[in-house]
Amino acid sequence: MISVTSKVCVVGDFAVGKTSVAERFVNNHFSERYLSTVGVKIDTKEIDFPRLGVAQKLVIWDVAGSDRFGGKEMAYLRGANGYIFVADGTRPVTLSAIDNIHEQISEHYEPVPAVVLVNKCDLVAEWAVNDKRLESLRAKYGNVYETSAKNGDEVEGAIIRLAEMIIENDLRDE
Amino acid sequence: MNDLDQLKELLFGAEKEALDSIAERVERREVRTADIADVLPEAIHQSHKRNQDLVDSLSEPVGECLQQAFREDPQTYGDALYPVMGPAIRKSIMHALRTFAQQINEAVEHSVSPKGLKWRWQASRAGIPFGEYLLQKTLQYRIEQAYLISRENGLLMGHVHHESSKIKDSDAVSAMFTAIQDFVKESFSPDRTGRLESADMGDFTLWAVHGPHALLVCVIRGVPPKSLRADLSAILERIHFRYGDAIREYRGDTSTVPDVEVELERCLRFEARQERSRGRGGPSVVMIVLLLALAAAFVFLGAQSWLHSQQLAQLSRALDEAPGIHLTDIERAGGAFRVRGLRDPLAPTVATIAESIDIEAGRVTSSMQPFQSLEPEIILARAIQLIGPPESVRFEMSGRTLIVSGDAPMSWRRELQQRSLGLAGVDRLDLSGLGASDLRAIRERTKALDEKKFFFENGATLADSEETALIEYAQQLRLLADDAREIRHELVVTVTGATDATGPEDINARLSERRALAAAGVLAEYGVNSQINAQPAMPPADVLPRIETEKRFVRVDLRLRAPADLQ
Repeated sequence: MISVTSKVCVVGDFAVGKTSVAERFVNNHFSERYLSTVGVKIDTKEIDFPRLGVAQKLVIWDVAGSDRFGGKEMAYLRGANGYIFVADGTRPVTLSAIDNIHEQISEHYEPVPAVVLVNKCDLVAEWAVNDKRLESLRAKYGNVYETSAKNGDEVEGAIIRLAEMIIENDLRDE
Repeated sequence: MNDLDQLKELLFGAEKEALDSIAERVERREVRTADIADVLPEAIHQSHKRNQDLVDSLSEPVGECLQQAFREDPQTYGDALYPVMGPAIRKSIMHALRTFAQQINEAVEHSVSPKGLKWRWQASRAGIPFGEYLLQKTLQYRIEQAYLISRENGLLMGHVHHESSKIKDSDAVSAMFTAIQDFVKESFSPDRTGRLESADMGDFTLWAVHGPHALLVCVIRGVPPKSLRADLSAILERIHFRYGDAIREYRGDTSTVPDVEVELERCLRFEARQERSRGRGGPSVVMIVLLLALAAAFVFLGAQSWLHSQQLAQLSRALDEAPGIHLTDIERAGGAFRVRGLRDPLAPTVATIAESIDIEAGRVTSSMQPFQSLEPEIILARAIQLIGPPESVRFEMSGRTLIVSGDAPMSWRRELQQRSLGLAGVDRLDLSGLGASDLRAIRERTKALDEKKFFFENGATLADSEETALIEYAQQLRLLADDAREIRHELVVTVTGATDATGPEDINARLSERRALAAAGVLAEYGVNSQINAQPAMPPADVLPRIETEKRFVRVDLRLRAPADLQ
């Protein structure tokens, strides 16, 4: 099997559950203190794809921030192989934040595979994103998942899908 | 124009114009140049994207062009490079100064510590400068881990480590280090050109060496020498040279940088370790013995020094107190002493004084000038030496008076008076305590022979036995007179006659005189001069003899007369 390491950045507005999403499936992680001090936290996750003959290791950069990134946060995103955009399904404004962040990234870096996680789907009563909005998201980003970091719904599937897309993207480039 | 030409014109007119135009563009140099100028940038761009050939082709001529240009117009290129060279030179100087300061700090830190003293000793034994030895000893380090990280995305391209090193997730470490790099650059470098090059973490130092596309991060235990950075840079350059594009475009596939760990292994070879101690981390037996020996030597030398100081003070005091010695200078050189001053020939020698306080004479060298001391002890010694008194005589000094006591013949007494005249420091002689043995003997003999009576029978004729006694007495007197004369005394002999009470007084008076003259005549015969006492001897009534015959006598009285100078 070919060993591949990929850099994946988790981005999104405040309190959308980025760190919770990342911790849901990582193998190793640094202390969360780094998130508040340096502004980023690193976790890793190893995934094997026997069908593709690839053993992939995701190095996940959990980037603290809001819908507007400064120079430091943008530097953290440099060279990313994929993005996990996280929004809060109970706060529609966080979906707009994804658009803002996506625009900023597009200004600085080449397009790479991405998935969108509309998180907190366990909070059914407070869910505020309608199907139309979700459809528009799918039209723009392709892979949109309604996830729950709390109970794990769809989180791993979304990440694995992103990993596959990264491998496919790399193979296509070659 | 013939038919053929017209036909050609009809068939190929447009193509011919095109051909003419092409021919003109090919033949005319300025047109051809303009055409190439139009496509050259694009052509270079495409060729460079396609492969390395253009770079290879241009590298040599471009290099030569630059060399020639620098030679011909150095001022222009110097001005152009100034903004680049200035900061580079300043950075290099600052780096050198920082290294120098670090070395000075270490040198100062180690120069006075116990370890520093030990190293000084070892450096002197090894015959190398202390600074050089200090560097050897302080630069103990080992590269524990080496990470090769993509500068583009922070992905780890390779990682090597010693077996003993504890390793966390190296990919996460690589990413976190890159994040911290970015954090530092964005937070603390206003122009975002600064970069994190080293960090200290307890026993570890973390060094980052930056290449164009990759970062070599080494985790080093101990204090590495500054020169190590150049070695690490060389390794990183080699990696760049070997993997080139693969590093620049690294996207996480380690197969694109095969055997990069082999290159990184070179980093782990850099180490300089302190010699292992033979014990379990403690000082070696040899070191302990050496330290003990050193401590003993220090104690011994300290004690010796203290003892010698004490001896110096003791010797100084003894010399000061010694009569006839005036100390001007005394000093110690190790265990020996040097003494300078004045010494009376009659004073004890410096060596004698030193030995009297248990200092070996061989350790004392003296330079003493002779002088005449007026200290009482020396005056006394000088008097004894000059006068030579008998054992029965004792000398003492009181102020400037020589007190002589004891017993000595009168003849020596005269010698004493003569010899003491030139004695320095003696103004007066006190002889009141000095007795004369020979005078005393004369006096005793005189006393024994004094008031001797010789009896008459009748008239002025001595009885036979009395005459014999008088002759014997006269002989004794003669000897006594001679002996008295020897000691300059005169024996004064007085003869007085006596009679009994019968008869007239005037007859008795004449008889007394006759008897005295008769006795004096006998004495004179034997060399004894005497004088006659005209007054008859009339014993006091209470002691008058009852027997009449005992009243008829002469009495000889003796008296010693001393010479005038002894009275």
